[in-house]
Amino acid sequence: MIGRPAGAPGGAPRILIVDDDPNLLVLLAEQLRADGFEIQTARDGEEALRRLSRGWPDLLVVDMMMARMDGLTLAREIKAKADLPIIVLTAVDAADSKADLLDEVAEDYVTKPYHYPELRARINRVLRRLGDRVPRQGLVLGPDLTLELHRRAAVVRGSEVKLTPTESRLLYALAANLGQTVTTESLLARGWAETEDADPSYVWVTMRRLRQKLESDPSRPVHLQTVRGIGYRLLASP
Amino acid sequence: MSGLAGPGRGPDGGSSPVLPADAVRVGSRFSFRTRLTFGLVAAAVLPVAAFGIALAATEVAGGGLGDNVVRLLLFAITVAAMLGVILAYLLTADLLQPLRALARAVRRVAAGDLSARLDVVGEDELASLAESHNRLASDLQRRNAELGRILVAIGEASPRDGVARLVTKAAADAKAAFEMIDARVHLGDPADVPIEDDVPGDPRPVRAILALPDERLGVLVGHLPATRTWERADNDLLELYASEIAVAVRNAQLFEQVEAQTARLLELDAAKDDFLRGVSHNLQTPLTSIRAYADQLAADRPDRRLAIIGEQTERLSRLVRQLLAVSRIESGALRPRAEVLALATHVRRAWEALGADETAFELTDRAERWLAVADPDQLDQVLWALLDNAVRHGGGARVSVTIERAPREQVRVRIADDGPGVVDVDRVRLFERYARGTSGSGSGAASGQGGTGLGLYVSRELCRAMRGELVLEPSVSGAGATFSVLLPGEPPEDA
Repeated sequence: MIGRPAGAPGGAPRILIVDDDPNLLVLLAEQLRADGFEIQTARDGEEALRRLSRGWPDLLVVDMMMARMDGLTLAREIKAKADLPIIVLTAVDAADSKADLLDEVAEDYVTKPYHYPELRARINRVLRRLGDRVPRQGLVLGPDLTLELHRRAAVVRGSEVKLTPTESRLLYALAANLGQTVTTESLLARGWAETEDADPSYVWVTMRRLRQKLESDPSRPVHLQTVRGIGYRLLASP
Repeated sequence: MSGLAGPGRGPDGGSSPVLPADAVRVGSRFSFRTRLTFGLVAAAVLPVAAFGIALAATEVAGGGLGDNVVRLLLFAITVAAMLGVILAYLLTADLLQPLRALARAVRRVAAGDLSARLDVVGEDELASLAESHNRLASDLQRRNAELGRILVAIGEASPRDGVARLVTKAAADAKAAFEMIDARVHLGDPADVPIEDDVPGDPRPVRAILALPDERLGVLVGHLPATRTWERADNDLLELYASEIAVAVRNAQLFEQVEAQTARLLELDAAKDDFLRGVSHNLQTPLTSIRAYADQLAADRPDRRLAIIGEQTERLSRLVRQLLAVSRIESGALRPRAEVLALATHVRRAWEALGADETAFELTDRAERWLAVADPDQLDQVLWALLDNAVRHGGGARVSVTIERAPREQVRVRIADDGPGVVDVDRVRLFERYARGTSGSGSGAASGQGGTGLGLYVSRELCRAMRGELVLEPSVSGAGATFSVLLPGEPPEDA
């Protein structure tokens, strides 16, 4: 799947990289160009916004900590204008208090020091997800279940339930095909793109855990149904 | 105020309009003294009068004091004395009846029935005694009501309300409880509020200090209607209330202090977090460049030296993360994500990241496809630290890892080395922060040279945050150290 990202008909996907470290900027641009992406670079947030005013890329890679305008602010400003997918480069990991903020403005984030293949895999996955057309507002599936995937949460019987990145990815895929069966294989590809030797049991177990989080009776699921031997489907309650 | 007898009602000769049904009438048209005098005089004079009458009758019957005469005389005296006693008894009863009624009413008040009143008739001494009793009872009743309102007000005061709200509320409550015209609480030196003169006919000024044992916090001042009685007991009650306000205000002040300190600490914590984030970013960014360029060069022209650069940058960046993790552990800010993952993959990846090609590595997966629930980033940190430990302290010969199921729906990763094991002294201190082996070489598995001394401490805390555990298995003589990571597990069945 290297260098063959989907989502940009008639040309290579365009990526805008924003980082105030010139070494990294040059290297990353070089690596991504070699993999067939069309790359633009910006040294800070203002330059990035100027470039955006002349045309939108398919994806942004933004460094979280920059001297003039930090990545979070930039990501928020961009999201206020257009729903462009953003990957944030950060020294922050999931355990950081800023991680939730990242979840809200960025499609994904890569922890520094990152390995290029991992970053590339994530770029590809985010670009593929574009086809899903999942709205950024809540998806009401019934009186007791609303999915708010853009902030990795669900509201179950009035109380908020946090979702892990993988869980929300699977729900994205299911919600984009609401009512239709999604195969276990495509869920696996969606949820575990960077994991070697991923196994269907990942999907099974994650779905089981999701049911425990979202369904009132996990043994008789209303929303998250198994289609034996094929996959799963997401249903709004009748 | 309905239902309560008005204070200080004058002797109007009639009954109070709200008199209880069982009230007793006390008093008479004749004064108590008149009746008492009349009774005493009657009792004393009657026998003498009888004696006189009998003597006169004898004279009329014809001279001399014969036997008959003496007998008649004695008879008359006896009858008169008896009449006198009866008369005195009747008069005493008339006098005692109102006294008994009074005593009953006092007993009822003493027992807590403050509604006991006496119906006052006339203007004699008993009437005024009854009047006093009535006033006492209604004062008690009023103060009781005031006390009740004060207690409610005190009960409602919460230090969370803040000093300003508390003070406003205390003034309003005092106004309502004591039926004042106005009331306010001044915080600060009570001398700042001048003492007002009490001019008869004008609203009566009242004042109570907000006193604590060690400090005067302020003063409560207000005005009462001119007609309102204000006794010492009322003032005592107001002072009691003022001292309770003082306690509440002091509590609120302390609470505000604690709140401010907490906010400040949170601020400092956030600042520290920001600082560490910045440091971490500033360290990781160049490491990313070094690593990426080394990888790029190595891809063009494989060189062992480039691989070492790559491995060492990896180590450096992991140590930075360990330091960051310590700060998060200390501030309780670890928030692991519970993702489903296969342990074998992660163990293998952590081993590869270590780049310890000289050490033999054995991985046995007996998990029966059970998956673990863990945060991938944190698990990676734990596995890397434990494998690194095993390589550096295990004599470098061999590291073997076994993944297996454990009781209570858990999965276990056992990481064993062939080193000298851990000496008993170290077993206890091993997981402490900055712990290191007791001697430089071969003494234990604690992070020694090249480590931060934080690896095991951080790893255990990370495991616990993921609802798991990290333990050092009991040592077997001749065998090396074995660490076990326990994590929540999930069976692999199709749901």
